[in-house]
Amino acid sequence: MGGQACVFYGAAQFSKDVDLALLASDENFARLLAALGELNAKRIAVPRFDPVLLARGHAVHFRCQGGDADGLRVDVMTRLRDLAAFELLWARRTTIRDATGETFELLSVEDLVRAKKTQREKDWPVIDALVEGHYRALGGEPTAERVEFWLAESRTPERLMELIRRFPSEAHTQISHRPLLRLAFSGEGEAVRAALDAEARAEQAKDRAYWAPLIAEFEGFRRAEREGA
Amino acid sequence: MTFEEMPDEWQEWLALTPLERFRESEKIFAHYLAMGGSLDPDPDPTSPFYDPETSSAGAAYGRPGLRVLRRGAV
Repeated sequence: MGGQACVFYGAAQFSKDVDLALLASDENFARLLAALGELNAKRIAVPRFDPVLLARGHAVHFRCQGGDADGLRVDVMTRLRDLAAFELLWARRTTIRDATGETFELLSVEDLVRAKKTQREKDWPVIDALVEGHYRALGGEPTAERVEFWLAESRTPERLMELIRRFPSEAHTQISHRPLLRLAFSGEGEAVRAALDAEARAEQAKDRAYWAPLIAEFEGFRRAEREGA
Repeated sequence: MTFEEMPDEWQEWLALTPLERFRESEKIFAHYLAMGGSLDPDPDPTSPFYDPETSSAGAAYGRPGLRVLRRGAV
């Protein structure tokens, strides 16, 4: 769902780890642990693997030891901030299959963009690249859903103004969801840029607020592990 | 940055199919590892997972076999 999905969508050239969004069920947890066992993966950070903690939004971090995957980190989550429940994420996923039949199941680009709206500075250029890559690939084949996605998520004044020229009625409809489109209508590029920055800062603040209680828990987990509890 | 403003390298990357990108990424990853690249996360104080006690400053230019022998003034 993370960097590896970004590679498929063209927003990254490689990722040093594998992030998995997982359906929270006993059967699935058993399959995950069996797979991690085959990779000789060991947990490398707090918290411990616990479905209750995953359900609260924590990630569990593993590192593979030995074999082709030696050193590779695998991060597992079952809940992501502001994203739909797993069943819906799965229903709208992207599936890619190669000539040998190998299949790759990816978070949809819309959900990946939402997942990348974090407090981390490095995630925001990735969102730009995800949306631009999508527009470059499919801009010639607009559908209602795609136009809505581009208008909702494009992050450059130039692209927003182009979208408004191409899809004015759809853009008008979206103003109530994304007020900065009104500035784009008036062609105020610098004002749009400032509003885009403010939009990012607001999302980062929401993400920090979401993580604050989880980080407080982390610190408790770290203390407990250091003390050997 | 719009697609048109992206460097040629990125435009060429986006021109590949998703599977072509994945296969190319595997090669880049293999090169990275062959050069001694670290699989540790990059230190990122803006990440909720950042732990200053366990995060190192990173090896010189991402390679554990390299040491900085000389630096400029900054």
